Amino acid sequence: MSATGAAHPSVKERAELALNDEFLRKAVKFTTERLRNGKKNASADHGNWDEWRERGRQIRLHTIAHLDYYLNLFVENARANGVHVHFADTGEEAVRISLDIAERKSAKSVVKSKSMVSEELHLNHALETIGVEAIETDLGEYIIQLAGEMPSHIVIPAIHKNRYQIADLLSEVAGERLEADTTVLAGFVRKKLREKFLEADIGMTGCNFAIAETGSMVLFENEGNARMVTTVPKTQITLMGMERIIPSFEDLEVMATLLPRSATGQKLTMYMSGISGPRRSDDADGPDEMHIIIVDNGRSLQLGDPEFQELLNCIRCGACLNACPVYRHIGGHAYGSTYSGPIGAVLTPALNKNIAEWDDIANASSLCGACYEACPVKIPLHEMLIYLRRRKVESGHGNKLEAAGMKGFAVLMANASRLRAILALGKIGQKLVVRKGEIRTKIGPLKGWNSYRVTPSLPRASFRDRWATLDQEIRHGLQELNPEMQRRLENAVKQRQQGGGAGHGGH
Amino acid sequence: MADIDKSETAHAAWLKEMEAASRAKQETFMNGIAARLRHPRMKEKPAHPYRGALDFWREFEWTEEERIARFADNWRSVGGHVARLSNADEVRDFIAGKAKELGARFVVRQNQAELDALGLEAALPDARISVWNSDPEEHWKARAAEADIGVVAADYAAAYTGSVTVLSAKDKGRSVSLLPTVLMIVIPIERLKTRLGEVLVNFDRAGREQLPAGIHFISGPSRSSDIENDLTIGVHGPGIVYALIVG
Repeated sequence: MSATGAAHPSVKERAELALNDEFLRKAVKFTTERLRNGKKNASADHGNWDEWRERGRQIRLHTIAHLDYYLNLFVENARANGVHVHFADTGEEAVRISLDIAERKSAKSVVKSKSMVSEELHLNHALETIGVEAIETDLGEYIIQLAGEMPSHIVIPAIHKNRYQIADLLSEVAGERLEADTTVLAGFVRKKLREKFLEADIGMTGCNFAIAETGSMVLFENEGNARMVTTVPKTQITLMGMERIIPSFEDLEVMATLLPRSATGQKLTMYMSGISGPRRSDDADGPDEMHIIIVDNGRSLQLGDPEFQELLNCIRCGACLNACPVYRHIGGHAYGSTYSGPIGAVLTPALNKNIAEWDDIANASSLCGACYEACPVKIPLHEMLIYLRRRKVESGHGNKLEAAGMKGFAVLMANASRLRAILALGKIGQKLVVRKGEIRTKIGPLKGWNSYRVTPSLPRASFRDRWATLDQEIRHGLQELNPEMQRRLENAVKQRQQGGGAGHGGH
Repeated sequence: MADIDKSETAHAAWLKEMEAASRAKQETFMNGIAARLRHPRMKEKPAHPYRGALDFWREFEWTEEERIARFADNWRSVGGHVARLSNADEVRDFIAGKAKELGARFVVRQNQAELDALGLEAALPDARISVWNSDPEEHWKARAAEADIGVVAADYAAAYTGSVTVLSAKDKGRSVSLLPTVLMIVIPIERLKTRLGEVLVNFDRAGREQLPAGIHFISGPSRSSDIENDLTIGVHGPGIVYALIVG
């Protein structure tokens, strides 16, 4: 991540790379549309979708609001199941514990199923430094690991690779030329990874949900690799974000209803596994030793912050990515971090608490609210993006030119005759650059805009000129702001006045 | 042997050390969360008014006929196969027929009474049939990995999502439903429910101490769309799965 970040420091530059890659853009668009339509159909088929979303939100809100109780309960129950539980305040600490276990077990290889937390920690690299081979076993993750890249989508990590590129990568591993045929390629991976599963010393997983009342961890997947990782090796390590908790199996029904439908449009993923500790003494498979590492790594900063606490409700389905018009154009890598799309734009600076470094990510959004509409637990991501932008400006990381421009704009707009005068001037001045009613020149400040778009010219009769008539016409038909949104915004303002946002004070 | 014992003792000691550290850290970790949430540490179970699914959903139930039809639709829609059979003899004949058709040489099955009753061994004299964990000396994961066909009996099934639930135990390996190329799942009709919640609630009722190490919901063949969105079946788990509804 840092490599990509350092070479192309701004979202704009990274996005330009993506925008120039025709295949990537098409692949991202095609996949996100497929997933988005799948989700739309699945949620419509199921029915009462908004009620389910609300229930999901309530369960997540309740659990996070009582996280000290539920997390503690989970820990006690997991321990009673025979799990070794560890706590990591930071990513480094989680890495150190993982490496300690690998060293104590004299592990040569670790097979991993998809885990966003592990991506967050850059664990594979760390394992390699102590001579332990780390193998991603999710088909898409395996491919991007071979390519030495980052996932570009939470659910479909290799969305940006075509099968010819994949055939090249796998042929290198095979030592022979593999046909660029999906069945051939997947068949090769099955065979190759079977060997890896059977010889690995440690299996490492993430955790979709952790059930407080029974100390169980739950995994959703389609390939069966997470089952492999939790069944075959002698030692299992699970990395779990501290917020993954839900109270009970009953609550899991709601999450199991929301997550697969939102992620891929499935009624349920092919496998859903609840694992409660290492194998029982009479069992003939399952791990002998099981560790769960509970990771904070910036998550607790959101607790008690009225603007961002709901971020912890996220169930990592990726629906906001698929719904986001910006993500669909620039793809995941342009976000330059583990989490991409709208959730990444908010989560990354929130977890890293360095708004300055990630400042432009919050701008990679049109604030259209499609992410909120798509979110199965109703996280108001578009509002959070505004809060982020505000905090960035408040902490002195605003754009000086933009501030000056806004000031100038304010001066103009504050006085009607001033605005009228400048518009009249503009109508005369634009004659130099207008061709067929459009401005296409890329000189000076117009370059950024006109590289991809066309600036319209000032019309002969503007909206302002016609306002008096229009005003009469629509005076009675004015629509009010959606009451729920209005309430939310009012609440946010109120909480801010009460000294909220302390968690991000250091930005 | 003595060396192994010694290193195991050292490892156990290290685990103990780690546990002590973890318990100490647990307090500061939880206190930190409580402080951020601006409330005193919560030691009592909070009222959870939104627990589980919506009320109208809990009342939703299909007739047996509908459950079978919906389960079969869902299972087939993801590429699985379904057979509706009336008794153990039909199950035996079905499995034996498929095993012969596929030329299966190795079969592994759970050590379950429902499966003992089938008499598969007699029906498939040419195949080697292993019964899970029937011999403590055997390397059972290897037996499952080499198997062409795995045979399990479902503990539960849910029609609405087209899912089967299998629980691990001494006699029921997790590998049997995972490692073979083909999976046959016998579903006694009375275990087929409408909703996922009807299955899940059993685990809350049973409580932590009664839970098996592995609870697995299986909703079809192993699959992936990671290469160009092109659906591939049998990526890691079984690619061919049969649901045999009996009774």
